[in-house]
Amino acid sequence: MTQNLPIPLSLLQPGDQGEVVEVQAQGEVRQRLLEMGFIRGARLRVEKLAPLGDPMELVIKGYHLSLRRDESSCILVSRVAG
Amino acid sequence: MTLTIALAGNPNCGKTTLFNALTGARHHVGNWPGVTVERRSGTFEHEGSTMEVVDLPGTYSLSARSEDERVASQFLASPEVDLVLNVLDASNLERNLYLSTQLLELGKPVAFVLNMVDDAENRGVRIDVPALELLLGGPVLPTVGNREQGITELKALLAAMARGESNRCRRITVDYGHDIEGELTKLQAEIGRDEVLKAAMPPRWLALQLLENNAEAKRLVAESHASEAIRQQLAKSFAFLEPHLGADGATLVAERRYGFAHGLVKEVATAADDKRTPTSRLDAVLTNRVVGIPIFLGILALMYSLSFILGKIPQDWIAAGFKALSGFAEARLPAGELTSLLVDGVIPGVSAVIVFLPVIMILMGCIAFLEDTGYMARAAFIMDRLMHVMGLHGKSFIPLIMGSGCNVPAIQAARTIESRQDRLITMLVTPLVSCSARLQVYIVIAGTFFTPFKAALAIIAMHFLGLALAVLMGRMLRSALFSGPSSPFVMELPPYRLPVLKATLIHMWEKGSVFLTRAGTTIFAGATLIWFLSRYPGIANREWTLEYQQKRQAVMVLNLPPAESEEHLRSLQLAHESRIVNTSLAARLGQKVEPLLRPILDPDHKRAEAWKDVIALTAGFVAKEIVVSTMAVIHQASEEPKAGERLSPLQVALRDGSGLTPLTALAFMVFTLIYTPCLGTIAMIRREAGSWGWAAFTVGYGLILGWGLAWLTVVSGRALGFA
Repeated sequence: MTQNLPIPLSLLQPGDQGEVVEVQAQGEVRQRLLEMGFIRGARLRVEKLAPLGDPMELVIKGYHLSLRRDESSCILVSRVAG
Repeated sequence: MTLTIALAGNPNCGKTTLFNALTGARHHVGNWPGVTVERRSGTFEHEGSTMEVVDLPGTYSLSARSEDERVASQFLASPEVDLVLNVLDASNLERNLYLSTQLLELGKPVAFVLNMVDDAENRGVRIDVPALELLLGGPVLPTVGNREQGITELKALLAAMARGESNRCRRITVDYGHDIEGELTKLQAEIGRDEVLKAAMPPRWLALQLLENNAEAKRLVAESHASEAIRQQLAKSFAFLEPHLGADGATLVAERRYGFAHGLVKEVATAADDKRTPTSRLDAVLTNRVVGIPIFLGILALMYSLSFILGKIPQDWIAAGFKALSGFAEARLPAGELTSLLVDGVIPGVSAVIVFLPVIMILMGCIAFLEDTGYMARAAFIMDRLMHVMGLHGKSFIPLIMGSGCNVPAIQAARTIESRQDRLITMLVTPLVSCSARLQVYIVIAGTFFTPFKAALAIIAMHFLGLALAVLMGRMLRSALFSGPSSPFVMELPPYRLPVLKATLIHMWEKGSVFLTRAGTTIFAGATLIWFLSRYPGIANREWTLEYQQKRQAVMVLNLPPAESEEHLRSLQLAHESRIVNTSLAARLGQKVEPLLRPILDPDHKRAEAWKDVIALTAGFVAKEIVVSTMAVIHQASEEPKAGERLSPLQVALRDGSGLTPLTALAFMVFTLIYTPCLGTIAMIRREAGSWGWAAFTVGYGLILGWGLAWLTVVSGRALGFA
């Protein structure tokens, strides 16, 4: 189902779906993201952006999570048709 | 023999509700040794056996990066724990099982509670419990914690397991695949060379953490005599695994764990249906682009009116009660040191502590309510952008809001922030947020020197100034002290849930008692100290006491009408007390310190009594509300306005006798806002930051910043032509 080249998660719009390709963050952030389910192949859907435009809310592994652009730009995803 | 059960689970899995249901009122809140994480423990009995339950902080993993995780993983690995009870949120099973994969490595019997099965069923998720038991290798009990369903069965199960009567536990661990398992075996062999290390935690668990590049595990290994061999093996394992499997150790381990969890969920649970959940319908409004922020501000306003309108009623009763008590004591006891200690030291000291209890408890109740419903995470989500600009975290908004009630619980509330950096910055700037105790000072001062409208403006301005300074200091501290990257904002938005009243009440009671014991004792001790400083040596002067008593006698034999006699006696008392205070140690201190504050409180050097302000401000180190009561003592004028008058005698005395001008009064307010947190806050910062250093830093920067801004107020005010 993978259609495009990997793009940063921060470029996805509300309603878009994607599949995790790689977590590029390092150290603590990386470990935290892995634990929260950002492993290769994990499906996610961007739910919305906060009223002030950042952070974003997304659904991964069946639960809701919010991520700042700082973190979401370190996660490479491939867009998946919804 | 009492067996110890560790209650482990993700945040928001209903662990604490379950803990309350298990232990009822029989629980105790303390701290984990050496750290600032709260430790809840309690007991329950079942058919004659007593079991201790320890509620661990909610964590997503045991990788020991945050204080919470370190506490949880250390306790779980300790021999103290006989049994692990893993609470799983049935409606969010896959992610909850990630932690379980780690708990299963600890080599202790693990029982599972499948909590919130009702939520899961509403989402169309049905879970095959016997199959789950089989795959997890331990008993699984479905419960609905907030309705106390399944609690009796859970107690029976735990008791049976503790007695060793249940043989439903089999050792199950995640299979990490041929390659990783091979490296784990090699690492375990190297770890096994050191008996001490081997005993500290299961070697396989340590080996896994090493593969994950866990700093805590590496630290543990570094202390071992086998550290060199282990390090070499680890380097070899990485060199083999990473190119071979195409990712680093941490990723590989996480992937296998989620693989296990995912496979398990597919096996035992039906997929959630796609219909919109109540949570997403609520969030469509509550975190909406347009109305999200207005709703948030509305909730905030509601919370405050509740705390301060509702809280004011019992507050007034308490204040009146203590006043009556001290009046009674004064009337019945002979004048002297002991009576003064009781009437001017102990009773007002206790009163100053207890009077805060209603507001703190209501505020904490509101916050617990919002937290338990899941809305607090949305508040952080909505406000994070703003907080991020300030160099803070979305979760910092909550302590900052609470700070305007009282800084002490606000600093406690910073515990919700995972990263130590963010938490520290939040704690260091929270004292700049103007609290309700400071409000009492503003009300007296602004009410004296400004018209009611301007007074209200000045008071509002103080609050905005406090917030603005918190922003600036947050940014400065971030760039000056912590140049590293800010911590990740990876925050779960849990489903909305109806809170349990009992849990909210328990939470309120806990916060209230923490305030009494942690802050209350310091405020009380401080009040007594201030009594000593402001009464000695005069109070021990026998000649003065004798003189005072003779004068009283002289008035009493005159047989004047009661009202007139009363009037005479009161003025004699005032004269006697002010003689004592104005020659006291505090007065001498004030005269010494006064030149330092002259540029802000007495720019023209015309005020003979500016040192009295210093006494009041010194008392404010103890607690800001004492500033007002100390002024009342020093100026020998009551804080209570007489019937039908707008200004209290204290305010009249300040206006007519203190020499303060509207401009220096404003500077006084600015200085009061910033100059130092109260002793309770200082004590709390010390506890939460874990060092006196940070507490001292907060006081130090406060004094400098406060002086600077008060000075700026005076200078710019004069430049604009105000006096």
